[in-house]
Amino acid sequence: MSISSPRNNYNLRKKYQKGVRTLPEVTREQAKKFYETMCTIRCFEESVKKDFLNGEIPGFVHLYIGEEAIGTGICGALRTTDFIESTHRGHGHCIAKGADVNKMMAEIFGRIDGLCKGKGGSMHIADFSVGMLGANGVVGGGYNLATGAALASKMILKNDTVSVVFFGDGASNRGTFHEAANVAAAWKLPVIFVNEMNCWASTTPYRTTTAVENISDRAHGYNMPGVVVDGQNVFEVYAAAVEAVDRARRGEGPTFIEAKTYRIEGHFVGDPELYRKKEETMEIFHRTDPLKLFKSQCPEGIDFSQEELDGILTAARAKVAAAKEYAVSCEFPDESEFYKDVYVD
Amino acid sequence: MRKITFSEATREAMAEEMEKYPEVFVMGEDLARQGGIFGQFKGLPDQFPGRVIDTPISETFIVGGGVGAALGGARPVVDMHFADFIGVCMDEVLNQMAKIRYMFGGQAKIPLVLRAPDGLAGGGAAQHSQSVESFFIHIPGIKVVAPSNPYDAKMVLKAAIECDDPVLYFENKVLYKESGEVPEKEDEVPYEIGKARVEREGRDITIVSYSIGMKNARAAADELAKDGIQAEVIDLITLSPWDKECVLNSVKKTHRLCLVAESVKQGGAMAEVAATVAEEALEYLDAPILRYGAPFTPIPFAPTLEKLYRVYPEDLVKGIKGVL
Amino acid sequence: MATELLMPKLGLTMTEGTIDEWKKKVGDPVAKGEIIYSVATDKLTNDVESDTDGALLAIMVPEGETVPCKTVVGWIGAAGEAVPANAPSAPAAAGDGAGQTATAQESQKTAAPAAAHTAGEYVLATPYAKKLAKEKGFDLAAIPATGYKGVVVAKDVEGFVPAASAAPAGEAVKASPLAAKVAADLGINLKDVKAAHGRVLAEDLLRYLAETREKAEAGESADEREEVKNMSGMRKAIAKNMLASVQTSPTVTFNLGIDMTEMKRYREQLKAKEIKVSYTDLLVKFVSKALTEFPLLNCSVDGNKIIYKHYVNMGVAVALDNGLVVPNIQDADQKSLTEISKEVKELAKLAREGKLPPEKLQGGTFTITNLGMYGIESFTPIINQPEVAILGVNTMEDKVVVRNGEMCIRPIMNLSLTADHRVVDGSVAAEFLQRVKSLMENPALILA
Repeated sequence: MSISSPRNNYNLRKKYQKGVRTLPEVTREQAKKFYETMCTIRCFEESVKKDFLNGEIPGFVHLYIGEEAIGTGICGALRTTDFIESTHRGHGHCIAKGADVNKMMAEIFGRIDGLCKGKGGSMHIADFSVGMLGANGVVGGGYNLATGAALASKMILKNDTVSVVFFGDGASNRGTFHEAANVAAAWKLPVIFVNEMNCWASTTPYRTTTAVENISDRAHGYNMPGVVVDGQNVFEVYAAAVEAVDRARRGEGPTFIEAKTYRIEGHFVGDPELYRKKEETMEIFHRTDPLKLFKSQCPEGIDFSQEELDGILTAARAKVAAAKEYAVSCEFPDESEFYKDVYVD
Repeated sequence: MRKITFSEATREAMAEEMEKYPEVFVMGEDLARQGGIFGQFKGLPDQFPGRVIDTPISETFIVGGGVGAALGGARPVVDMHFADFIGVCMDEVLNQMAKIRYMFGGQAKIPLVLRAPDGLAGGGAAQHSQSVESFFIHIPGIKVVAPSNPYDAKMVLKAAIECDDPVLYFENKVLYKESGEVPEKEDEVPYEIGKARVEREGRDITIVSYSIGMKNARAAADELAKDGIQAEVIDLITLSPWDKECVLNSVKKTHRLCLVAESVKQGGAMAEVAATVAEEALEYLDAPILRYGAPFTPIPFAPTLEKLYRVYPEDLVKGIKGVL
Repeated sequence: MATELLMPKLGLTMTEGTIDEWKKKVGDPVAKGEIIYSVATDKLTNDVESDTDGALLAIMVPEGETVPCKTVVGWIGAAGEAVPANAPSAPAAAGDGAGQTATAQESQKTAAPAAAHTAGEYVLATPYAKKLAKEKGFDLAAIPATGYKGVVVAKDVEGFVPAASAAPAGEAVKASPLAAKVAADLGINLKDVKAAHGRVLAEDLLRYLAETREKAEAGESADEREEVKNMSGMRKAIAKNMLASVQTSPTVTFNLGIDMTEMKRYREQLKAKEIKVSYTDLLVKFVSKALTEFPLLNCSVDGNKIIYKHYVNMGVAVALDNGLVVPNIQDADQKSLTEISKEVKELAKLAREGKLPPEKLQGGTFTITNLGMYGIESFTPIINQPEVAILGVNTMEDKVVVRNGEMCIRPIMNLSLTADHRVVDGSVAAEFLQRVKSLMENPALILA
């Protein structure tokens, strides 16, 4: 038995699923919004990385650089009232779901004006006002929460809210996945399992611990559609999300979307990455950077000049710089906050 | 007054709450078709179609899904079948339901009740007989209740369902079958989570317990009364956050404290009570604190051994007389 | 294993002693041979050395307090070791507030309880019993225990009636148990102590003690040019003894000049034989001889009785920086001049080093005190009680005298004998002096 390296398994050009798949209509405005979101995530992560390394941010942070197209494409297909369950690598999901960037940054800096009053931090960030039900510090902790929320929507509250749970290839090996996926499929719950297949479970290449080539192959065991998409192509991700969301709202149950991507940064900021070669990572990034590929990936009839795209990036950078400025201008929570929020009453 | 069993009392509570709040539902194993293994859900599936849900044997989903449903706007009651199985889904209790409100800065409410039948039931042995409530008083963010009689069972469950915080409701398997007076709905007095009750007043010693431990407390108090010893008996009802005030006030009056529970004595909920009294009212104690609980062993199967695992009223009587 | 420290019996006649100074504080490590405390007796301050390594566990008798010999004054043992439960209680202190801080604090653990418990024992009591006792101002140690395992429980406190004398806190003055106990031990009336926080606490007591001592030390003198100091233990002893002597004995002092020509020659002869003796040594030898012939000069008085000593223990006053001591040469009349000389030197050396064995300070029968080196010509020494006479030795100087009708120069030394007229009449004293003179002017007679 030979275990292939992630590199060899990494094939972004591989078509996700054969068959009839028509891309949904995307307006130029939508496409521009996708690019704006991806730029905001990229600039946000770069800013966080710099500030973390400068010692301004406590705790640990996990960056989403290179994976921006997934959160952007998935959330692009959701309503504000739909729910997402995020992960420790969750800044991108949070931004894509529409959270206020200033308040996000304040949270990551541990300030009282942060989304969670400085009590959560990077790994436990949430914005219930936009349906972002929280990052989760426990890998694989989100499946059942999302499935339960979907159960409440469909079976108890009888509304058409859809729930999404993001998870990595590492998390896909948690037993929690099985219990949630089984129930979701058995009861046709409106939940979408979005696997960000970034090839690394912390320091472990996924094929050394996982037998299947495509994790979405497992979906079939639950009688749930499983699709593979190019996680570097926001339009492909979006297309898969739209289809899954439609199914969910129609009451036809869950979908498993496996978005192939690659973790460009270390597991956490400061990770010495002794388990892989930096040049190889950078080579992959160079080839697959969703921001660079965006222009060429735009559907027919939609075109952006490089100047316009550069302008969007510059604007995103300014927005993130302002967010940082806002965050550090906020106070840390004081003692009065200490016992608040342990209980409602 | 009418008498109903503990089990019926919880069923009434469920029915009344499901009637009152359409977002209340219950899920767990063997509820709808069987009515719960102790009959505590009988009749509810017909009364509330679609809101009594039989789950697969997936405790992680039952609890995690319950938390998710609460996040999604429902008011779930989830059933653990046997309290022992909370071990299967400890992450959902410890890291999810207990933490979500605080770590998200108060954005979320988790109006979830986790029902957990516990205790020795004769031959249940190591994995089906435990009283595990003490694990959970160590976790900020969840509330822990353990009523000791049918009336409390009903009122505490109703309060738990209406509570916007996650509540672990420990119900003793032996108590299910026991009957007790429960007033008609209009005469009910709502229970406020966190309150203990002085069930019997006395001046010589305070006996504190909860759940089935109260049987020992009451029996010991009866026995002591024959010798003119007046024990004050307190039913804690809520173990977290518990009613310190009530216990401290009583100890300041009686100057002696006896604690009893069925669960393992070491590190138990009663240890917390003992420690608190020592911290905050040591100068009022006129005798060492007496504490009764299970020995530090898994629960044995053989009846001869299971018998040794239990605490008996005579143990308390003997101990109390030794410090008077 | 904790060992008791006792008030030593420094000689046969010593019955009590005063703790002059604690050189160690409670808790201080103590090495074998180190001085732990000093004891003052009549004319003597003696250091007490530790005969073991360890730590000072408790002080039972504070400085300045006088207790009978063999009284336990403290405890020594391994650091942190408890003082044994059966530790004898400290004797009641004089009410002069002479306790020092460490002593006061320590007495809570070590000092005398009344009934139920003994000193040094941790009183087993329930917290509630302690609280009640504290509120009522009862000494827990005094309350008999009836509770489980012999613990004092609330009902013991509630049923306790303190003995009037054992209740220093009284009904009127509220005091903490520690304060009550310390006050009782030091004989302080709690009513005299101002409580800073309602009831009298140990800290109030310590403040009171400090103030009292300050007042005592400050005396009445507000004059900056004056300085008030406490007497050393030795000074106190000297003062006490001198006063007692003057009050006891009606004295007469007799002066007589002695021609030391022969004595000088005799000394030179000895010197030529490598035997070096001082005039004091010679005096000891010759006066001792004379005393054997004058028993009334070598006796003591006890009421209406005269105790004749058929031995001569010749005291020799030794001046020290801070006072004087009088060690004695036992059986001086039986000893050779060389032996005497050697012993005088040793005693003087030991006295200056403060290492005089107590027995050398007891049982003297007569004293010689020499101020000759200061050029003194005559003085009136005070008798070293219970002796009845003391011989003052003055300077020796060449004087013009008449011998055989001719003027000549002779070395003359005055002797000043003070005698107790209760037993020594003038004629007896005079005869005795004459005999000393005769012996010293004819040294050969010593052999007679």
